Amino acid sequence: MIVVKVNMAPLKHLEMENSIIDECFRDFCASHGILTVEDFLLHDLYELAAFAEREANADRLKEGITVMLSLIELQCRPWLNGMELLEDLQRNKHTLSSGDNGMNSLLQGGYGEGQLTELVGPSSSGKTQFCMRAAASVAEKQEGSVFYIDTGNSFSARRIAQFICGGSDAAALRKVHSQQFLSPSLGAVTDHQFLILLTRNVYVQRVLSRISCHTVYDIYTMFDTLQGLEVALRSQVQMNVNEYRLRLLVVDSISSTITPILGGSGSQGRALMVALGYMLKKLAHEHNIAVLVTNHTVGAGESGKTKPALGETWKSIPHVRLMLSRDNRNSNCTISILKHTSMPSGQTVRTITR
Amino acid sequence: MGEHEARGWIRSDETAKQMLSRVLGDRAFLLLPPLHRVPLRAGNVVEITGSSPTAKTQILIQAAITCILPKTWNGVHYGGLEKLVLFLDLDCRFDVLRLSDMLKHRLLEAYQSNVKTQDKSKIVYDEELYVSCMKRFLYLRCYDSLELLSTLKTLHYRIRLQEACGSQVGVLMIDSIGAFHWTDRLSSSLALDKNNRKSLSLTNVVETIVQEMKKLMQVHSLVVIATKATIYEEKYPTNENNRNISSHSDLFGNPSSKAQQPPFREFMPSSWQAFVTHKIFIRKSDDHHKSLGQQNLSAYLLEWLQPQLSSIDRFIVDDSGIVIVSKHTQILFHVSSSHAVWYCHCLMT
Repeated sequence: MIVVKVNMAPLKHLEMENSIIDECFRDFCASHGILTVEDFLLHDLYELAAFAEREANADRLKEGITVMLSLIELQCRPWLNGMELLEDLQRNKHTLSSGDNGMNSLLQGGYGEGQLTELVGPSSSGKTQFCMRAAASVAEKQEGSVFYIDTGNSFSARRIAQFICGGSDAAALRKVHSQQFLSPSLGAVTDHQFLILLTRNVYVQRVLSRISCHTVYDIYTMFDTLQGLEVALRSQVQMNVNEYRLRLLVVDSISSTITPILGGSGSQGRALMVALGYMLKKLAHEHNIAVLVTNHTVGAGESGKTKPALGETWKSIPHVRLMLSRDNRNSNCTISILKHTSMPSGQTVRTITR
Repeated sequence: MGEHEARGWIRSDETAKQMLSRVLGDRAFLLLPPLHRVPLRAGNVVEITGSSPTAKTQILIQAAITCILPKTWNGVHYGGLEKLVLFLDLDCRFDVLRLSDMLKHRLLEAYQSNVKTQDKSKIVYDEELYVSCMKRFLYLRCYDSLELLSTLKTLHYRIRLQEACGSQVGVLMIDSIGAFHWTDRLSSSLALDKNNRKSLSLTNVVETIVQEMKKLMQVHSLVVIATKATIYEEKYPTNENNRNISSHSDLFGNPSSKAQQPPFREFMPSSWQAFVTHKIFIRKSDDHHKSLGQQNLSAYLLEWLQPQLSSIDRFIVDDSGIVIVSKHTQILFHVSSSHAVWYCHCLMT
């Protein structure tokens, strides 16, 4: 059962480095029901100190309590002031172009590193296309690697190759890029064959190698994959070997892994959803990654409008929520802001997708 | 007791005027727009509830700016409190750019209204003031309840360190208090029955949080403002008219207590509910506000539930922050004569 990370260190393990947490101290704590650091956090320390007063070795016990507090404080993060926050933002958290001009203009630059962006829309509204477009843009132009988690077998290397070469219009591709990427002796080739040739092209392959795709079908595998990624990133920070650091994490779609476990009034499903959300936000913030997730819509009974899936609790998790809707008659896609940390909701933009 | 001592005992320590000036200086009333309808004092705990997104964090940022600005600087009046703001981000979504932009707007506004020059475009805000204000905003994020508890337990010492440098803490902000609700509830259901051991359950965690905050407030004079996002969807319409109708139909029971029933489903344990002294509810207004030439901005309604005020503020959020657009008074409850007769009839039978 996957539970949120909990500091359950029993007090015994602290004795090695802190001799004051000896048998006496631990017995005293055990008599009040404190066996681990977590129990210590749940207790009223002044009350504990008052009880310690009554014991024979009162001073030593109180010293032990102070040492425990200082250990807890060491684990806490430091308080940052506004200027330090701004510095971190400007130095480490850049905006990644989304690969689409309309989206870039709406979001004033693109997807933010350190933020969790959610794309909501009914089926075939273009969510996966935006994900792949972003992956192509980051891998090719922004010198970064992409971690792509695919839950519905919708990842297509060929489509990304098309995005890399600037669009899916095969004739335009041939004209513009035939000199750069492919040998001049092309001759008469069908579009399909052309696409296959494209993916075999060395430049395109190099860009594609920066995108790692992982198939995940359930939430437990999702947790495993993300925890593995976290460990890998932490060790990378120490080694600093990788030229292309991870800049974009895509989860397409997150709702298909969460919806099966949500249901009923039990708290397990929602707790797992919240834990997943926080894990993504932590990865985004500590490793300066932009996280992009997709969500589908459900029909709302009374009001008749469709609303995003995953319910009320999920609404507080992403930094930015965007609603996509596609006009069936033309290839227009309307993107509107449902929620943004620094822009008012309701702004929309129309973009043309092919 | 000798006569001299008796006289000394009867003689007053200070007059009422002296006492008031001392108390009001120590624990002054804070008017933090847009929460300015009710003056807040140190020791108050304000809870702002609303679904997402309803500009709750924007309200916190606006109140924070009023707190970190000085009263006057270089002859310009800013009307701030010059106190520290401690921002505990449990949602982990805070955007410091928004704080920075809103602060710059406020500085420019105050400067412009003070200095009468023809060329307003050349005015630049005071960089030194901006930096000193930003440094008064202290931020920390917690990813789970244990981190929050550790932070609260060690907060007293850290505030002491800050106060040693001469700055006082004015407000402790928490965004948002129900963030770990589901995770803690899951821990409650998983908790084994251990003798004498307190388990990491929802009630225990919230009780400890409340305990730690009470201890903090005994030692430091600060106001606590917490936002709370609703986690249950509203099953009944929150239109003002509909609420009045539903309070009509609830005849059995005190009509005033029915009107005080919150328009959202409360999920925080009773230890937190008892700790809160002021409550505000925000919901989205049905109609949009047409601002000059731009797209429609969503409007929100801010309602004071505790103390219950009869007016509702309508506001929008634009670049400079929260702008109150209009204010309407609402009628709390009607008891029509026919209903009163039926109620009396039921009492008698």
